[in-house]
Amino acid sequence: MTRICFNYARKEQIKYISHLDMMRLFQRALRRSGLPLAYSEGFSPHPRFNLAAPLPVDVTADDELGEVFFKEEIAPEEFILKLKKQLPEGLEIKRAQAVDKQAPALPSLVSAALYQARLVTVSPQLEVNIEAYRSALERLLDKEEILAPRSSRKGKRKTNVNVRPYINEAYFNGDEHEDQVVLKLLLQTGSRGGVSPVFVLEQLDFELGEKRPSHVNWNLHRVRLYRDCNGSLKPLSEGMCI
Amino acid sequence: MQTQKDILKYLLGQVWKPARYTGNEWNAVKKEHSSVDLRMAFAFPDLYEVGMSNHGLKILYESINRNPGMLMERVFSPATDMEELLRKYNLPLFSLESHKPLKEFDIIGFSLQYELSYTNVLNMLDLADIPLRTEDRKGDHPLIVGGGPCAFNPEPLAPFFDLFVLGEAEECLPAILTGYMDLKRHGYERNEIIARLSTFEGVYVPSLYNPAYSGEEFIGMERKDDRAPEMIRKVTVENLDTAPFPKAPPVPYLQTIHDRAVIELFRGCGRGCRFCQAGYIFKPVRRRSRDKLQQTAKEIIDNTGYEELSLVSLSSTDYPHLEELINNLDSDLSARKVKCSLPSLRLDSYSIKLADKLHQGRKSSLTFAPEAATERLRKVIKKNITEEEIFTSLGDAIDAGWQGFKLYFMIGLPAEHDEDVVEIVNLCRRLREYFKGRAKRKISINVSVATFVPKSHTPFQWEPQLSMDEVNRRQDILRTGFKKLRGVDFSWHDARASFLEAVFARGDRKLAPALEHAWQMGCRFDGWSEYFDFSLWQRAFQKTAVRGEDYAYRRFSYDQCLPWDHLSCGVDKNMLIAEHQKSLAGEKPEGVTHDPDLL
Repeated sequence: MTRICFNYARKEQIKYISHLDMMRLFQRALRRSGLPLAYSEGFSPHPRFNLAAPLPVDVTADDELGEVFFKEEIAPEEFILKLKKQLPEGLEIKRAQAVDKQAPALPSLVSAALYQARLVTVSPQLEVNIEAYRSALERLLDKEEILAPRSSRKGKRKTNVNVRPYINEAYFNGDEHEDQVVLKLLLQTGSRGGVSPVFVLEQLDFELGEKRPSHVNWNLHRVRLYRDCNGSLKPLSEGMCI
Repeated sequence: MQTQKDILKYLLGQVWKPARYTGNEWNAVKKEHSSVDLRMAFAFPDLYEVGMSNHGLKILYESINRNPGMLMERVFSPATDMEELLRKYNLPLFSLESHKPLKEFDIIGFSLQYELSYTNVLNMLDLADIPLRTEDRKGDHPLIVGGGPCAFNPEPLAPFFDLFVLGEAEECLPAILTGYMDLKRHGYERNEIIARLSTFEGVYVPSLYNPAYSGEEFIGMERKDDRAPEMIRKVTVENLDTAPFPKAPPVPYLQTIHDRAVIELFRGCGRGCRFCQAGYIFKPVRRRSRDKLQQTAKEIIDNTGYEELSLVSLSSTDYPHLEELINNLDSDLSARKVKCSLPSLRLDSYSIKLADKLHQGRKSSLTFAPEAATERLRKVIKKNITEEEIFTSLGDAIDAGWQGFKLYFMIGLPAEHDEDVVEIVNLCRRLREYFKGRAKRKISINVSVATFVPKSHTPFQWEPQLSMDEVNRRQDILRTGFKKLRGVDFSWHDARASFLEAVFARGDRKLAPALEHAWQMGCRFDGWSEYFDFSLWQRAFQKTAVRGEDYAYRRFSYDQCLPWDHLSCGVDKNMLIAEHQKSLAGEKPEGVTHDPDLL
């Protein structure tokens, strides 16, 4: 048995699909690759495969992680070579490494994610009032409570959860691209609770109210995932061989 | 200046399920447009999830794209949110592979699977900025072609299509396309090109025929051009083993309706159910050899990575030595944990045995279509299963561990009386009691009741559809009956949608203005209950002086000329008459009143 952890990027071409679609995409690519996959037990066996954290629709990413189990010894180089041939344009395997089979499942390690949101306008002539955005963000962060609707596991009961504590950092960064507004979001994610960047941006748009320009979109990008290391955040990809 | 690409990128961020429009799936074929002689778009007038489940698309995609000089790309109906944005930003409808406007293709081929997608056809043409009517198209407009089951009665669509191809196009299409490009290169005018194409086997050019009427009554087609054949005969593939077989179909990112690998065991169906158009238009039965199936099954899984392989046909369990085939497939594919499935099951012990063999895991439910609840009515429609067979096979299924059943019935069948309708409820009651004795667990029963739509080229093509009032009354009988029957879930089809389907299934060219009007007023996705707006259709019929009832409720006589009589599926009309007469022999006249004590 081999457990391989890999690192991948999701580019523009492939960003419009959901987490479940991504899971299916990888599993089908793995089946095509001919690699000796290990399957789960039970009546409907599926490849033992995980992605570290769901990536929302319409979000690109640079530094994502996944893991897969094989029933035989597989060298990471062979894994990369064979899987690469089966992946569509826009999905790039970067590195792979054999990891301890007993280590906790990859998704359970994720505790935060850094996002970068850019404002794009459908027409470049349209001006965006950055100051309005800055003050809207300030108002949003000043709130003690930001309620997000959550439904229970079976979708029957609906409750509201305060997600304000899950917004670790949020700030506009103007110096990189002068003509573009870039918002950085460090958000808690994973099993101990979290908030989706899409929800935070919706709340920000809501704060803007009438000042929200029409014909603009947020272009979201996940820079990296983090794990908790005795209270401080470390990039997940750095510690992938725990 | 913003390029179309930038605008599109922006739009994709605004719509629900953007992957419907992006293409780039595994196995999608991308060819440089300038590197080929002929560019065709396959247009499916429904959502991506529906169209990508269509096996015909995969076959033709292979049939065209395997030619180095040709390319085929796909386009589906944009959902209403995308349509709104395309119109707002004045962006023409584009293909999935190259994102090029449809207008830049040489040929657009529409797949006509069901009548309620016709407004989507017009909508797609309009979004592509192509004139709706063939007479308004100029030399540089793409050739608009239709195919699929509805091409056997395409008259309501006649003014909008340059030509139709009748039957199975996978072998003849490349030749028709080459013929088209040759004529174009020779500099012939559009009308002349289309007229010359009418000499190809299976090609129907509606503009070369004039429907003749005596008063209100259709009396036949007059040919405007001697080259056009009097009778257009469908094309058939002779040998399925050598016909194009989609071994590497595009693998969708989105979950589609049928998201799995497919091998087609045989074409046609030997059962001859009298209501079933597919059974008649796909005659005769032609099988793929077991060797060929086994070999291609492996290739498809190699190429797609699917976790499921569906063994499709109109009646898959009729394939000889199916069990052996399944065993062989299993030994080839079990290492990769690919499971096989059968789409349709007959109510017999052999089918249950096969279903049991194929199924691992939670046995949630099995689907069957008894169609009618009484043996008498099943004989009328030639669905020859006995009540005993129903009980035995469902009993076997329960013993094998299945937890429930989905049962499909129809109402409004010819020679149906209230007893037959009431019997649907009674049969389910008897089944429920039977299950109680046989299984300790709860067995769920889902009953879905559709309304019969008489289709062309079947023995029931002369039969009227039941009136909407009468359908509603019979549905009331069912609703009342099932309300008292606990543990059975009952659902029914909207009588108005079935009515509209019948109007177009039996329609002629006089319907075209009503169709165009309905589309103009906003009708889209008429097969989807959430979009279907019957009041708009009523207004469209009124405005264009068309009485839908005259089409749906009319009983044709044998000597009458039918709007589709010039289009042959290879079955002689006399044979259909004989089948029709056989079906009704010994039937009592209609009009028995409803007896509430029956329930």
